[in-house]
Amino acid sequence: MSRKKAARGKAASSSPSAGSPAGKGAGKAARSSPGIVPMNGVVHPSRPSISNSSEFYDVAFKVMLVGDSGVGKTCLLVRFKDGAFLAGSFISTVGIDFRNKVLDIDGVKVKLQIWDTAGQERFRSVTHAYYRDAHALLLLYDVTNKTSFDNIQAWLTEIHEYAQQDVVLMLLGNKADATHDRVVRREDGERLAKEFGVPFMETSARSGLNVELAFTAVAKELKHRSTKEPSEKFQLQEYVNKEMKGAGCCRA
Amino acid sequence: MQRSKATNRTRTRTAAHSGAKDRVDRVDPYGFERPEDFDYDSYEELMSDYLVVLTRRTIKWSKLLRGKRKVQKSLTLKRYVRKGVPNEHRTLIWMAVSGAQDLLEKSPGYFHSLLGAQHDPKLVETICTDLNRTFPDNIHFRKTSEPCLQKSLYNVLLAYGTHNPSVGYCQGMNFIAGYLLIITKEEEKSFWLMDALLGRILPDYYSPAMLGLKADQEVLGELVKAKTPGVWKTMTDQNVMWTLVVSRWFICLYIDVLPVETVLRIWDCLFYEGSKILFRVALTLIHHNQLEIQQAQSLPDVCQAFKQITCGPFVDQCHTFMQKIFTEPGSLSRATLAKLRELCRSRIVAEES
Repeated sequence: MSRKKAARGKAASSSPSAGSPAGKGAGKAARSSPGIVPMNGVVHPSRPSISNSSEFYDVAFKVMLVGDSGVGKTCLLVRFKDGAFLAGSFISTVGIDFRNKVLDIDGVKVKLQIWDTAGQERFRSVTHAYYRDAHALLLLYDVTNKTSFDNIQAWLTEIHEYAQQDVVLMLLGNKADATHDRVVRREDGERLAKEFGVPFMETSARSGLNVELAFTAVAKELKHRSTKEPSEKFQLQEYVNKEMKGAGCCRA
Repeated sequence: MQRSKATNRTRTRTAAHSGAKDRVDRVDPYGFERPEDFDYDSYEELMSDYLVVLTRRTIKWSKLLRGKRKVQKSLTLKRYVRKGVPNEHRTLIWMAVSGAQDLLEKSPGYFHSLLGAQHDPKLVETICTDLNRTFPDNIHFRKTSEPCLQKSLYNVLLAYGTHNPSVGYCQGMNFIAGYLLIITKEEEKSFWLMDALLGRILPDYYSPAMLGLKADQEVLGELVKAKTPGVWKTMTDQNVMWTLVVSRWFICLYIDVLPVETVLRIWDCLFYEGSKILFRVALTLIHHNQLEIQQAQSLPDVCQAFKQITCGPFVDQCHTFMQKIFTEPGSLSRATLAKLRELCRSRIVAEES
């Protein structure tokens, strides 16, 4: 009778998406986590905090995934969170949802609270209320879908209108593994990103290409900003270029 | 008596322990594959009780419907619907009480003419984006299944979007059309039931401005404030907007939020009594779990709590759950709801302009 999705919820004990009734008691006991991410700042708990998954963290940030419907936002998130790609097992995201993941960035435990949003245009009036609390936005398009690429400009306009001015922004061309169906060249993505001064990379939730890197780069940038060491400014695009897999190594 | 029943159940359960997984199908009666961690023992125990109810109701329904050419709304029928429509009568009852049957009979061929009409390519594209993402865990929605409900899903959504271009296609409608097809197994009837839901039963949840949805989320907030003030305070203290935790409840009409059987029981009443039922369900979930929600110390905690209250025995036991929705939240008059809807709607319009 009950049809809660094991595959999606199973490995994600810290995820509110985990629908397992078995986790009920555990969730309750662990519910001592401090509130994170106030409107405009970073949390520095006086002592290490415990997230729902009993993982310690030092700082927490809110990251949002945005982009047209079907570009692979949920898949990218699940790949990053659980390291899995389950082809054809995803349902379209309705509304908004989030998952947590704690990363170790140079010895600092950085917790990313990653918000997954519905991509369809009419849901934006519901979701853009959350933009202003976001510390970082990952803007996705699908390299096999020209429309999703053409809509990036509209997305950027919306982001500039609703997000914080200093929000960390990154453009991702997803489904880069789909060589046969590709209609947006990497150079097109690079050119657009350059035009708007946004770091860029291609990703694949299917193969895992650059997925970890995209989130790590954002976490590094946010951590760097929060520790306020202006003397050695962290260069997000430089870091990305250096670390990027695939053709990234031969570029200047 | 109570006790002996409990003892009996424990005994049955122990005996059943080894074999429930062998006896229960891997796919549920609606075509959904059961998840890997599905609790077969609890399910079997639950069903052994529910089957008794189902059998009793089926006999009563056969008597009620015997010799009737047309089903008419009546207090008796309403009472019967609240106690659950047997699956074999669902199409008939949903079609009758929602008015969909009348419209189908008035416009024979209309559905098929919509399929033959010129289609907005943008509409086609948005629908296609979601076809593979609608119930991938249901065997009837596989491309290879025969009959293939994915093709029917496309037809129903395309026809509806063409019939009502101001709504077109909104995510969430795919799940609703999918459920209608699972139950009716007919595209045309699914189309007219879709029309009943979106055109008359629900406010404008799915139009581009989603004003009806935004208003109903706020209405729920107002009702919670009056009926369960502790929860309302938690939401306010943690700065949680209602849309964050309940938008899927409304848009998907509880599909993929609550267990399938429970959703269908809710829909029985939704078709008969209207969108008020959605509030009764929400208020029951919130009221029943108010202490759990109030323990939340942060926004993520609140979100987590709202996920957890949609699973577990309270919602699995659909028959008692459906009794609870008419008692637990207390009174909820149409007039109150209409007034709150108007209030919230004008508040939102004022904020947005």
